Amino acid sequence: MHRYLKPVIAAAAIIGAFTTGASVAQDMDLTKKETYDQIMNWAKEPLDTSKYKKDGDLKIGLSAGYLSNAWINFTAQSVKYEASLHPEIKEVKVTDASFNPTKQAADIEDLLTSGVDAILFWPVDEKAILPALQKAHEKGVATINIGYNFMRDPAVTSNAYVNQWTYSEQVATEFAKSLNGKGKVFAMLPIAGSSAAVVQLAVLQDVLKNYPDMELISSEYGDWDRAKAKQLTENLLQRFPEIDGAFSPAGQMSMGIYEAFDEAGRLGELTLSPGDDYNGWTKLVAKEGKWGSVTSGLEVGREAVKQAVNILTGKPTTTAVVVPTRYLDPAEAAKLNEPDRPDDWFKTDLPKEFLPQ
Amino acid sequence: MRPQAIGAPVLQRLPRIYWALAALVLIGIASVPQFRTVSNLANVLDQSATLAILALGQAFVIAGGMIDLSVGQLVGLITVVACMLFQAFPDMSLLVVAGCLALAAMIGLINGELINRLRMSPLILTFGMLSVLQGLIFMFTDRSIGQVAPSIAFLANGRLLGIPVSLFLVALVAFAAWYGLQRSIFGWHLLAMGNSADSARKAGLNLYGLIRIAYLVSGLCAGLAALLVAGRLGTGFPNAGNGLELDAIVAVVLGGTPLKGGRVSVVGILGAVLFLGVLNNLLNLLQVPAFTQIVVKGLIVIAAILADRPGRLAQPA
Amino acid sequence: MSAVASPLPEGMRLPSLEKAAVWIVLAILLLLAGLTSDAFFKFNYLANLVRQAAPVGITAVGVTFVMLLRGVDLSVGAIVSMSAVVCALVMDGKAENLWLGIAAASACGAAIGLANGLIIAHGKVSAFIVTLGMSIVVYGLVQMGTGGTARGIVSPGFREAMNSRILGNTLPVLVVCLLAAVAVGIFLQSRTRFGRGVYLVGANPDAARLAGLPVARITVVAYIVSGLFAGLGGLALLARTGVSGTNPGAGMEFDVLAAVVLGGTTFAGGRGSVGGTFAGVMVLFIALNLANVAGLPFAAQLTIKGLIIIAASAAHSWIGSRGSGRSQE
Repeated sequence: MHRYLKPVIAAAAIIGAFTTGASVAQDMDLTKKETYDQIMNWAKEPLDTSKYKKDGDLKIGLSAGYLSNAWINFTAQSVKYEASLHPEIKEVKVTDASFNPTKQAADIEDLLTSGVDAILFWPVDEKAILPALQKAHEKGVATINIGYNFMRDPAVTSNAYVNQWTYSEQVATEFAKSLNGKGKVFAMLPIAGSSAAVVQLAVLQDVLKNYPDMELISSEYGDWDRAKAKQLTENLLQRFPEIDGAFSPAGQMSMGIYEAFDEAGRLGELTLSPGDDYNGWTKLVAKEGKWGSVTSGLEVGREAVKQAVNILTGKPTTTAVVVPTRYLDPAEAAKLNEPDRPDDWFKTDLPKEFLPQ
Repeated sequence: MRPQAIGAPVLQRLPRIYWALAALVLIGIASVPQFRTVSNLANVLDQSATLAILALGQAFVIAGGMIDLSVGQLVGLITVVACMLFQAFPDMSLLVVAGCLALAAMIGLINGELINRLRMSPLILTFGMLSVLQGLIFMFTDRSIGQVAPSIAFLANGRLLGIPVSLFLVALVAFAAWYGLQRSIFGWHLLAMGNSADSARKAGLNLYGLIRIAYLVSGLCAGLAALLVAGRLGTGFPNAGNGLELDAIVAVVLGGTPLKGGRVSVVGILGAVLFLGVLNNLLNLLQVPAFTQIVVKGLIVIAAILADRPGRLAQPA
Repeated sequence: MSAVASPLPEGMRLPSLEKAAVWIVLAILLLLAGLTSDAFFKFNYLANLVRQAAPVGITAVGVTFVMLLRGVDLSVGAIVSMSAVVCALVMDGKAENLWLGIAAASACGAAIGLANGLIIAHGKVSAFIVTLGMSIVVYGLVQMGTGGTARGIVSPGFREAMNSRILGNTLPVLVVCLLAAVAVGIFLQSRTRFGRGVYLVGANPDAARLAGLPVARITVVAYIVSGLFAGLGGLALLARTGVSGTNPGAGMEFDVLAAVVLGGTTFAGGRGSVGGTFAGVMVLFIALNLANVAGLPFAAQLTIKGLIIIAASAAHSWIGSRGSGRSQE
């Protein structure tokens, strides 16, 4: 029966025949603080916009790694809002790759086919999107990254960037302070394999080096999902008789953690790290009067559009725009909370017609 | 049992999905100028190559009345392993390719062996395997690693005389699948098993052997598809294969191969893969909002399966 | 095989080895779990485990019926998401909208089930593909309807009541809900004409048709039941974790499917039971918890989860084949 396999084996041999050597690229090490200092220096470099200059109407493409998430949704809405303030932008085309990098590559090709002048994108994965961006670059289309990580590559024209190291560091440092530098803690991270999860864990481990009395007892992947975070925490509560705190930069997951401790009757032992400006979380901060927030940099959407307009109209600008994040103590964070809004919401100054419908 | 009427009018033998494909292409030509460009056509073919190979592999198990849910994560695993090895041994790409395909085929074979020995439902076994493989991927890495060999990148994205290189690979695999499923004794036996495992057993067919080979082919195709994915992405992304198994199954079924097996059409599968590729492309070009696209795709899957129903049962296959 | 067509109610027959298989697997697994961590023998922990399982468990009860019919329902994950999102939207943070929200969510689930059932029964097409397509449609509709942000607010009191415990603060309300769903399922399965019809159609659709059974109607009702239970599963999820994004049920259909098959309901139809499904759900959740409680890293947990599903199913089919002398498909 094995003779049926022959054609397939032949096919394999043919691919092999194409095969030669491979070049080795240098990766940015996301788990080192120096990388981020370097990034901040790159960001200040001037950008030569002359080759992207266009006259007349502009068409902007927005390739989202996925859209079914409140934060990305709010940022996408702010992209549309900012675009509406620039009369030269005639159109914003949005695609959703549903967390599938192959689909995102196809989306970008399709955006190029429909003739956009600039592509703003959240990569499903920074490295996996590069071949598609390369095609955009070859066509002279400006590409602007709004994702979690800074991308330095000829194929990426510019970045609208939230420094994830600083952001996570603000969270981790405030967290360690509120625990007086000791105790058993666990980390609730986003989707396993996502760059956000990689950076957050690295920062936490780095910060914990200064606090020898703090022990990281487990790292969990809650997928930015309140339900999943709650279930994982319930299991941890069974495993460990003593847990002093949880590092969870994403507010929606912090809420799951909080509920699990509450239902186990162990709320007394819980110290949570600051969360973000997620409305459900700031409601909780207002209720508890502790823990605080670090702003998540929702402004990147608008900054990315401004940067695109600068590039396409040939105005001088820098390689990247950096959106700062800020720690808010519990009293300040509580002010962000909008009690009449849903949990799955972010504090924003978008006009009503641009709020998610 | 099998379509033998070589002289019969082509149109009559063409699977119905081609009508839907034709309709879609006409809409595209009529409404979007960019759709007509050669480069767009080449893009669609590139975008479809992975799914085509994966679906052809899946056709082997589905034709035999089984299913393989593990192929998506298998693609992910091979993508990661291949890129890691390509980077570590840049001078031995050929060996890496051979090794990765062998690994993929072996995992397929393990699926088949376990189904035979444990007498398990293929769906539940390959569902379990899906989770096992996903775990293996994350043991290797929690982030994108490695880098694809330029030759593989060329295979996935390159053009020869304006024709996507991946098209040649798909054509080769399709020919092999057509021969294996629709022209060989093996295919005949596999379809007999799909029609009725009991009768096939009574007729003295070696079901164990059939199951083993069907899964081996499915694994091997997943390996090939993984190389294309690696070529498209340039790196080993651990989640690269998420959900691909369902896309493959949809393509097989839309191509006129029922899930209960016993009937298969390689030409139909190719048509279905193209249909899905053109649909994605057209929805993007027509500027259909992202969320509406999802609804449209789901509705079309349902409509297409409804359109491909009765009458077909009476036709020889 | 023919035993399932017997008019005697379930409980009055001695359980065959095949039917008991999943319970044996469950007992063995629980024993193993108990050896790893004595928490598994504590009532509180088990109650908590069952509470975690409530959304999947309630949904699985409904899916059992379509699987008995040789069907499958892959749209339940999307229905769970839709139900949770719609319920919170209708409730809009107002106490007086509580029942309206619950009704709307259940109605949505049943309506999707009705659509599935009509297409499958009258179109005579693959349930796998129809419900897969439906799951994409429903997911897309939820995203369209919400714009990607779950804007609902749960009525005050709903989650508090559902997450409380009764009987002297011991038994979580969600556990009661799951047990009630299972009880309703067992009633439907063994005490109604619909339930007997499902077994007959699943065992042999042609014979059932010849015997004058309304095959199409039974099919449609089975899918409505599946959709409705998925809607209730969504309510359970909403109760457990509040509003959490627009796709909280993502991927749940596969956990449900695994649980139902572990419980002894095969794709060949006609065999299996709601009780078995409940045991299957518990096998799945104990397996997941076991991996987690053992402190395995994330990657190893995924692998172990897969291995346990395979091992439990293999053990189950081995025990079953000893009992009935017939292997699973």
